[in-house]
Amino acid sequence: MPTQTHPLVTLLQRTERFLDAILQPVVFAGMAALIGVITLQIVSRVLFTAVGWTEEVARFLLVWITFLAGTLAFQRGRHIAVTFVVDALPGRLCQIARIAALLVVLAFMITLIVIGYRYMQVQSFQKSASLRLSMTYVYAVMPICAAMMAWYALVDIIELLINGKTSQPQEESL
Amino acid sequence: MTLLLFGLFLLFMLLGVPIAFAIGASTLYALHQSGVPLMVVTQQMFQGINSFALVAIPMFILAGDLMAQGKVSEKLVSFADSLVGFMRGGLSVVSVMAGMFFAAISGSGAATTAAVGSSLVPELKRKGYDPASAASLIAASGTIGVVIPPSVPMIIYAVIAQQSVSKLFLNGFLPGLAMGLGLMAIAIAQAYKRQYPKGTPLSLSTIWTTFKDASWGLMTPVIILGGIFSGIFTPSEAAVVAVNYAMLVSLFVYRDLNLPQIYKLLIRSAMTTAVIMLVIAMSAVLSWTLSSWQVPGAIAQAVLSLSTNPYVIMLLIVGIILLTGVFIETASALIILTPVLLPLVLQLGIDPIHFGLIIVVGLSIGMITPPVAINLYVASSITQLPLERITRAIIPYMLGLIGVLLLVVYVPILLGWSGN
Repeated sequence: MPTQTHPLVTLLQRTERFLDAILQPVVFAGMAALIGVITLQIVSRVLFTAVGWTEEVARFLLVWITFLAGTLAFQRGRHIAVTFVVDALPGRLCQIARIAALLVVLAFMITLIVIGYRYMQVQSFQKSASLRLSMTYVYAVMPICAAMMAWYALVDIIELLINGKTSQPQEESL
Repeated sequence: MTLLLFGLFLLFMLLGVPIAFAIGASTLYALHQSGVPLMVVTQQMFQGINSFALVAIPMFILAGDLMAQGKVSEKLVSFADSLVGFMRGGLSVVSVMAGMFFAAISGSGAATTAAVGSSLVPELKRKGYDPASAASLIAASGTIGVVIPPSVPMIIYAVIAQQSVSKLFLNGFLPGLAMGLGLMAIAIAQAYKRQYPKGTPLSLSTIWTTFKDASWGLMTPVIILGGIFSGIFTPSEAAVVAVNYAMLVSLFVYRDLNLPQIYKLLIRSAMTTAVIMLVIAMSAVLSWTLSSWQVPGAIAQAVLSLSTNPYVIMLLIVGIILLTGVFIETASALIILTPVLLPLVLQLGIDPIHFGLIIVVGLSIGMITPPVAINLYVASSITQLPLERITRAIIPYMLGLIGVLLLVVYVPILLGWSGN
């Protein structure tokens, strides 16, 4: 019975979809680049001489993919969680437990933004071993993704308070 | 402080906080309380996943997804059918064998269950097999997916325990084969009891044609494992070769995937990977914390003060592994248990590679023990059968797999195995 959705909820859901639409192509590009870089590593070693920087790029891509795709997965509720306890609770308690869980996530993400940002600045003079890339760019992904996940958690809490349930996008079929 | 950490972790987990964040939040709070600068959290998180060996995880997941989506699994099932389908209850044996074939392509249990299930279930229903029993057998065969190489849990274990991925892969064949044979034996016994029909008669020409059809899929393990064991590729590189190969086969040979589908598959595999990798990242902070408080050593001492008999202690460890697998998903359980249990088994003189096999086989059984049992969920969604019916039917297979696990634990100890 989809009743009138609250205008605030509609607005918040639009911000979620917007972030999601930006993240998806970035994650795709990261995966494609990862395949490309390691393919280059193999081909160059077998046919020519080994290229030195591919391993480092692959590792950094993996870090970026982990946090960015982790953000996508968080919005879809795909992170592994123990749900059978909460599901067994009666309606009202279940609702409270879910809000409490989201508050834990929110607090954790806000802490990660702070310490991630500070770490990024402390390490700004450090350069990566082979590319001489400033490590700031590599570490930046942590506070950025923590901020997005904090936003998602906040939206979920508001949705739970207004609607009593969260909206999750359907799993896209191929 | 350790109690505070574990208490918070348990509380957060039972509240339904995703495991990765439950680990992260409880560790962060405990570190803060004990006055450690929190910069160590970001540092350890980064260190935990900044590893070239872990690059193999997204790539093996993607290769498995590409192959499971397309016609490769169908052709593998037909080939398995031509080999063993003639027996009484042949299709049951086929589902185990197809599971073993697919295990050599994919590194995950869910992908193996999905690949075999979606191509075999309609056929099993048509031939009058008991649907719940058939679905549970496919779910049980899916566990072999993480034991026969490639294997995502083995990569995770290798990175945490600082062991060679190739060595773990190489030693995974025998336990995987034992699991397959064990399941087949149970399936055949049931087939006689239930008077299942015999399948297609054995014919060399059918074997040959189905073999030719399946050869694109069968080449994958040859490339992956041949490349790794001959030393041409590292496991991470082999995984990328498998991805390229799978894409070429599905785009140009079978033409069963188009570019938009591949776009979505890449993102989906990235999400599957990220879910595991974030648990690894957060657990890196946890294990740094625990070892700086010298917790694993203390646990080892406490257990060894009870008994130093390796047979008894290993039985206890097997119990812990199986019980953890009941409640926690495979990769997370592996990441949490390894740093705690490894110092203990090393003191018993158990080889770290041997322990890797024990923990991977043990936790693979967790994929079929509810409430947290990914293979059962996959099998249930393919067959549309309620989880309870499949769960009841899985008990004999589960007992069979536990039997194999005990062999994996004790036979090498009896033989004085050293891991090579």
